[in-house]
Amino acid sequence: MSKFRVNVKASPLLGAALGALLISASAVGIGHAGDLPEGFAKGELAPAPPADMIEAGKRVYFTKCVWCHGVDGAGDGPGADRLWPRPRNFNQGTFKIRHTASGELPLFNYNEKTPGSGKNDLFDTVTHGLPGSAMPPWEGILTEEQRIQVLSFVTTQLVKDRKFTDKQSETQTVLQLGTIKPAEATEDSVKKGAQLIVDKKCIECHGVEGRGDGNAFNLKDDWGFSIQPANWHKCWNFRGSRQDPYNVRNIFRTFSTGVNGTPMPSFADSTSVEDRWNIANFVNSLCERDEEGKPLGIDPLTDKPKINFVVPSAPVEGEISSDPENEMWKKQGRRYVAMGGQITHKPRNFVNRIDDIWVKSLYNEKSVVYLIQWDDRTKSIAEGKLPWAPTQVNVENFGVKEQAPKTGEEGSIAAAQNNYAVYNDAIAFQFPIKWQEIPAPFKPRYLFGDAKFNADILKWEADGSLRSFKGTGWDQDFEERDDFEEKVKLLKSEWKDGRWTVMISRPLKGNKDDYDEYTRFDIGKYIPMVFFAWDGHNGDAGRKMAVSAFYYTILQPPIPQEVYIYPAIIAVGVVFLEGWMLTRRANKKKGKVL
Amino acid sequence: MKALMSVGALIGVLGLLMLIGMIFGVVPSNTVRLVEGYMPMQVLSELAVFVAGFTGLSYLANSMGMAFPRFWQGVLFWAFVQMYLKFRIYPPIPFSVRAMYGVVSFVAVFMWVSANEEDWKKFRQPILNVLDANTGFHKALRTMYLILVPLLIGGFSFVTMKPSVDEPIELRTVHPAPPASTKVHGKTYTLQTSQNPYRVNLEGKYDQAYSNKLIVEQGMGRLMAPNANPWDEKAEGYLKYVREGGEIFFQNCHFCHGDNLNGRGLHAFAFNPIPANFTDPGTIAQLQETFIFWRVAKGGIGLPNEGFPWASVMPPWEQHLTTDEIWKVILFEYWHTGYYPRTWD
Repeated sequence: MSKFRVNVKASPLLGAALGALLISASAVGIGHAGDLPEGFAKGELAPAPPADMIEAGKRVYFTKCVWCHGVDGAGDGPGADRLWPRPRNFNQGTFKIRHTASGELPLFNYNEKTPGSGKNDLFDTVTHGLPGSAMPPWEGILTEEQRIQVLSFVTTQLVKDRKFTDKQSETQTVLQLGTIKPAEATEDSVKKGAQLIVDKKCIECHGVEGRGDGNAFNLKDDWGFSIQPANWHKCWNFRGSRQDPYNVRNIFRTFSTGVNGTPMPSFADSTSVEDRWNIANFVNSLCERDEEGKPLGIDPLTDKPKINFVVPSAPVEGEISSDPENEMWKKQGRRYVAMGGQITHKPRNFVNRIDDIWVKSLYNEKSVVYLIQWDDRTKSIAEGKLPWAPTQVNVENFGVKEQAPKTGEEGSIAAAQNNYAVYNDAIAFQFPIKWQEIPAPFKPRYLFGDAKFNADILKWEADGSLRSFKGTGWDQDFEERDDFEEKVKLLKSEWKDGRWTVMISRPLKGNKDDYDEYTRFDIGKYIPMVFFAWDGHNGDAGRKMAVSAFYYTILQPPIPQEVYIYPAIIAVGVVFLEGWMLTRRANKKKGKVL
Repeated sequence: MKALMSVGALIGVLGLLMLIGMIFGVVPSNTVRLVEGYMPMQVLSELAVFVAGFTGLSYLANSMGMAFPRFWQGVLFWAFVQMYLKFRIYPPIPFSVRAMYGVVSFVAVFMWVSANEEDWKKFRQPILNVLDANTGFHKALRTMYLILVPLLIGGFSFVTMKPSVDEPIELRTVHPAPPASTKVHGKTYTLQTSQNPYRVNLEGKYDQAYSNKLIVEQGMGRLMAPNANPWDEKAEGYLKYVREGGEIFFQNCHFCHGDNLNGRGLHAFAFNPIPANFTDPGTIAQLQETFIFWRVAKGGIGLPNEGFPWASVMPPWEQHLTTDEIWKVILFEYWHTGYYPRTWD
């Protein structure tokens, strides 16, 4: 049964040849149920869609899809060169998310319109989109009919090397996900899964902790573009998550069928159904959860974790520990901070590989400490000295450029991945300096402040430096502030198994009590805060970076006594009111009776 | 009549079950989607369906001799409206707004139960019963209320007084007043008189009536009009410019504004304010083309203060695109959403 495991990594030509070989081999094998991997059954090829449906689909395609997927469906539309992953090239008939065995075409049946039926892979892909890529969910935008129509067009006209209805060359071996009973995610099952991912060598690519950092540089898809293994801690970015990221069945399906066109093989014939559930349960258990171990709330509008724009800082007595595992840190809740590419000014960052960070904060009478953790598959430290000064923001002259809009496959952003000069990973955050003087909601601009209101910026780089800057505008180089640098402290910086942990301490105020030079932290006030992140292997430097929206940090005050006193007084007052009312009623009734 | 009421009751029960499921997270809240642009209408009609359902339920209960006290009808309906607003509507409405609706619906319920003397008597009878406490049951109930009410009010004031770290609410003006003119790439454009140079007919004359015929059709999917494919090799004039504008859009704008121009692009989840949704009838459909030109050219940083220039990540596109490219992108945005730009007259 090795035929389902063979994986095509070489050139498309070789791939096609191998594919043909595979298909002929599998054609011989059909008919022996015993030959099928566990959990699979032989399926029938779906009928060809009628011509009017194909014609109607063309209209949908040229309104909605052509812009990325291109006129001939070769994944080379106008938007393609600035995207990573690139839009799908339909011509080869290679589709990632399927219920069919490795190498086979996905399920598509123009008669099957039940979403999530497991009988119409392409329909589900168009309906739910492919999270983590630019492919959006089309549900609510295109009708079911229109989605079926456009797929009829794509599968018959744009898939050119294969034919969905050709019984000679195509087979369908379908994962029976609807009838397989999932194994409970018991402690035992998760534990077995944890061992299995080592035995099955999953960690070679996905990394010891599953952050996709095992083989971050060398993986290529069928078209020769760099791709990265999934980060199991961000299930909402799983392509096959079908807008239901914590559903273990999606992981079971992907693991059973593999991801066509990528190095991810199918493990169907080497792994029993039970073991596959164990692995799926383990992988699912890694996805980020809240303090109580419950799945994070997913925002249905973005399919990402819900955002709270306040980063609270809790008071502690005495020294703040530099160990994130310390009880005081464990007690403090963390906040999800979403990161987008900096796309406002040149050089714009169309592909940011850091799409979120996690932040916690504590403060004592002297300083406030931020614990920032984020996933980065690659630890990047520039070799030798960087050609620009740490204060320089305008580094376009040093080759930090944005992707040209149209370069063809060879010059595209996808081709550039893992071929950039390596700079430092870095993280930074800014506060307005004189926020006390700015009435809310006014703020200095999110991008390094402005000329009138300056920003107080702290930047850590992977070379171990922690610097304090003054920002006076998006295009102004920073002003360095040596006197303050002595006071800020790097409590911890560590890259381990695909995750950075950086802990930064800064004084609550400058030397004097004023706030003319440095942000002064007043307890109980909302202070605007913006985060910036750089992935050194993504060619990030200067303004080419990831950036957050405005968040607020607030030093949580200890609860004042009035909070306990007043409600008690109010409650007593209500009791008196009740007494008065009842007496009145009683008197009135008496009066009536008399 | 009875059959009709039974159907109503069935709908009411189903709707209630669905809402309860949504509250407890059993039924995903997007089971019945709120359709973009039609949300107010949808909410109103859903509420109307619920009211019909409740009427049916009440009628059936009445005819089966299990009449529901008018007092509890009023209280429960008010509670229902509150739950509906909290759990059905997405994105969530802030508490202050819900409180306003709460007062309005309270007044409405009050008017309903006090519409005539008989109804009003029926409504207040349970209250008086508890107050007078003539039976053992009512006595127990009264004692319970006497203890619970001060506790609840005290608890509520404690919760409101406790320092919280809720997100501050900031109200931003989405369409601030435009300037009279704007200077882009050295040329001054008067917003009242400027025209999109690419909105032209086959003779090359500005012609909105011509372009209006070639935009995509309204309705689900918003598909291109038949025989008006910008990707047709023979397409020229307006349609050719639409394609060129689309190419620019999908090289620059879709990252935030999304593949369907609905503000749900790749990076959109990270930003606040969220990118504009052009398919919403409240954005470009309400604006003049020159207003869009000003907004695109100057970006977030060019907004007046009520538009929060410090927070918007909208690029000043004059830094990235030529004037011609900006006009073409605008042309494409109107084409793709199927809206007409508003005119000055």
